[in-house]
Amino acid sequence: MNAQADKQPVIKRESKKRIRVEFDRTPLKDRLKAKFLNTYFLTRVVIWIFRLVLMVGISYIVLYPFFTKIAGSFMAPEDLVDVTVRLIPKNFSLDIYKAIIAENGYWKAFGNTFALSFICAILQTFVCCLIGYGFAKFKFKGRNLLFLLVMLTMIIPHQTLQLSMYMEFRYFDILGIVRLLKGGGIELFGWNVKEIGPGVASFFEKLNILPDVIPITEKGIEVTPQGINLLNTYTPLILLSLGGLAFKNGLYIFLLRQFFRGMPDELEESAYMDGCGPFRTFIQIILPNSIPMLITVFLFAFCWQWTDDFYTGMFFSSMNTSLLVKIVSVPPSLTTNFAGTELYNTAIRNTCGLMIIFPLVILYAFCQNFLVQGIEHSGIAN
Amino acid sequence: MTNNAVIDARPKKKRRKIASLDRRKARAGWFFVLPFVLGFLLIYIPMFIDSVVMSFQTMDAAVDGSSGYIMTFVGIENYRNALLVDPDFAQTLVTGLKQLAFDVPAILIFSLFMAVMLNQKMAGRGFFRAIFFLPVILATGIMESIAAADTLNAAMSAGIDDGSGTNTTNQIVSSMDFERLFSNMKVGTELVEYVTSAINNIYDIVNRSGVQMLIFLAALQSISPAIYESCKIDGATAWETFWKITFPMISPMILVNAVYTIIDSFTTESNQVMTYISSVYSRTGGMVVSSAMSWIYFLLVIVIVAVIAGIFSAFVFYGRKND
Repeated sequence: MNAQADKQPVIKRESKKRIRVEFDRTPLKDRLKAKFLNTYFLTRVVIWIFRLVLMVGISYIVLYPFFTKIAGSFMAPEDLVDVTVRLIPKNFSLDIYKAIIAENGYWKAFGNTFALSFICAILQTFVCCLIGYGFAKFKFKGRNLLFLLVMLTMIIPHQTLQLSMYMEFRYFDILGIVRLLKGGGIELFGWNVKEIGPGVASFFEKLNILPDVIPITEKGIEVTPQGINLLNTYTPLILLSLGGLAFKNGLYIFLLRQFFRGMPDELEESAYMDGCGPFRTFIQIILPNSIPMLITVFLFAFCWQWTDDFYTGMFFSSMNTSLLVKIVSVPPSLTTNFAGTELYNTAIRNTCGLMIIFPLVILYAFCQNFLVQGIEHSGIAN
Repeated sequence: MTNNAVIDARPKKKRRKIASLDRRKARAGWFFVLPFVLGFLLIYIPMFIDSVVMSFQTMDAAVDGSSGYIMTFVGIENYRNALLVDPDFAQTLVTGLKQLAFDVPAILIFSLFMAVMLNQKMAGRGFFRAIFFLPVILATGIMESIAAADTLNAAMSAGIDDGSGTNTTNQIVSSMDFERLFSNMKVGTELVEYVTSAINNIYDIVNRSGVQMLIFLAALQSISPAIYESCKIDGATAWETFWKITFPMISPMILVNAVYTIIDSFTTESNQVMTYISSVYSRTGGMVVSSAMSWIYFLLVIVIVAVIAGIFSAFVFYGRKND
């Protein structure tokens, strides 16, 4: 037994030598042939090339519109009608950018949109997180029905509710409270209820964070007998976010529910054993463990709120509220009257679009790792 | 005697405690979903009911000069207007549905294919992933409407085919090429047309399959590598492995993605029917008619989603059945 064990390395060394000798004797040409001219290697090369071409091709398709937009944004009007100019401008100019920043109020709109998107995204992430966690980890009566309702809010197209949503926030009134208060001066517990109407209004005015940036209306929030006018404030979007009803929130709730389902129950059980309540467990154990997913949802919510023009178009109907989605217009100093006007206006509009999404590109560059990570570890397929 | 009483009391107490923990957890669950319940009851339900009611009414500005509106009940007239009087709506609806039947399989197949590609180990995977998910973040909302009005894009790519005489400005391949390619194979022209138009719409399809790609990718990552290993040992080819292992394992996600794609393409603003409804909304007096139209549309969506979910769920393989 022992002798055999001792012999083994000797054999190995011998065979090694033999391989080396064989290797030295075969000419380089034959060696390369053996290595590269077999079906295994060839299929791998073919697959590799095929994949690379496909990937690069689709990347090109995705990026090409951005290239043309970027190229167009640096062009002077002459370049757009010049047939010889394709993607690289002949007369390089920054006029469009300068005009948009100066005349369309870019920075003010940027500040407003940032505030709005940030508040909404934070609220939506947190609220959807709560709701998703509730659906994932607790069993209570009516859970499935409630989840069906969440899906329903996702399925109903928002255009269906457009008119009634507008009316809801134009004459905002929960359960007819305002109507009741304004309608008759009822004495309630010795308190003149008539005074409450303005009180409610000032409460909503306070909800409208950064009132300097977005002037509400000249008169402040208007309280009519039919209800409070919440248009042109952040309040409608904040209220929708608080209820988990804003844009695509059904999707976030679904994603987060799947994510929390994939988390081991033992995590919470041990926290309960140590005397944590469900809420403390949620804040101290669950949230820190789901940061990639939270960043993913935040990224979605932030970016989709940032570029959203449906809700902002509906709720911010006044002309003097400046938001990024509203700066898409031709600055007065750039209105020209020559052959290529239409193309030039398109280039200006494209540039507006580029300037709108530029902050998102930076954000995406930092967060895109989390985007895949968050969903990858979500155990979504469970 | 006292000892006995203690023994009797113990299990009773214990049982009550367990029940109360369950109840406490149920209560906590309600608290967690409370934001949605409140939002749904206080904001969504009134909106929902209003919308239904408004679709049976007409709306006129109040005569006394205040900013209010007068609503009058007119029964199903709006629905009649939408379906019978309006010349374009029914037609738009049909073309919209046709478009959907075209889009959903294309998006599903493409996103599954790309997810499988991106799941393989290769150089620059992170880079390509970042590019493919770019449209999810950037090509939404306002960018969609800017892109729709983008004549510059067409102008810049025009002229490439100037010599050929055909006006294939935006088309990557013309159907002629494909017909030539497929002419020797015995494939129906419908399929050729489908593939050609899918390739010509590839930008649209790539744009809209980001979320689906993410979901498929997540599903692919959650398949245990041990299964693939044992397949390899048994001598299965990559093709067999895909159909026998990968496909059944991700079939629940195919269902989810199918439903998501349908909903997404129904509710996106670039959808023909949606565009049409919005254009009706901005007409004078068109608000209520557009409400009625979107309710008709929504009912169609629900029926289609239900039918497709029903059909698909018969073929879905659930590896382990937990709750």
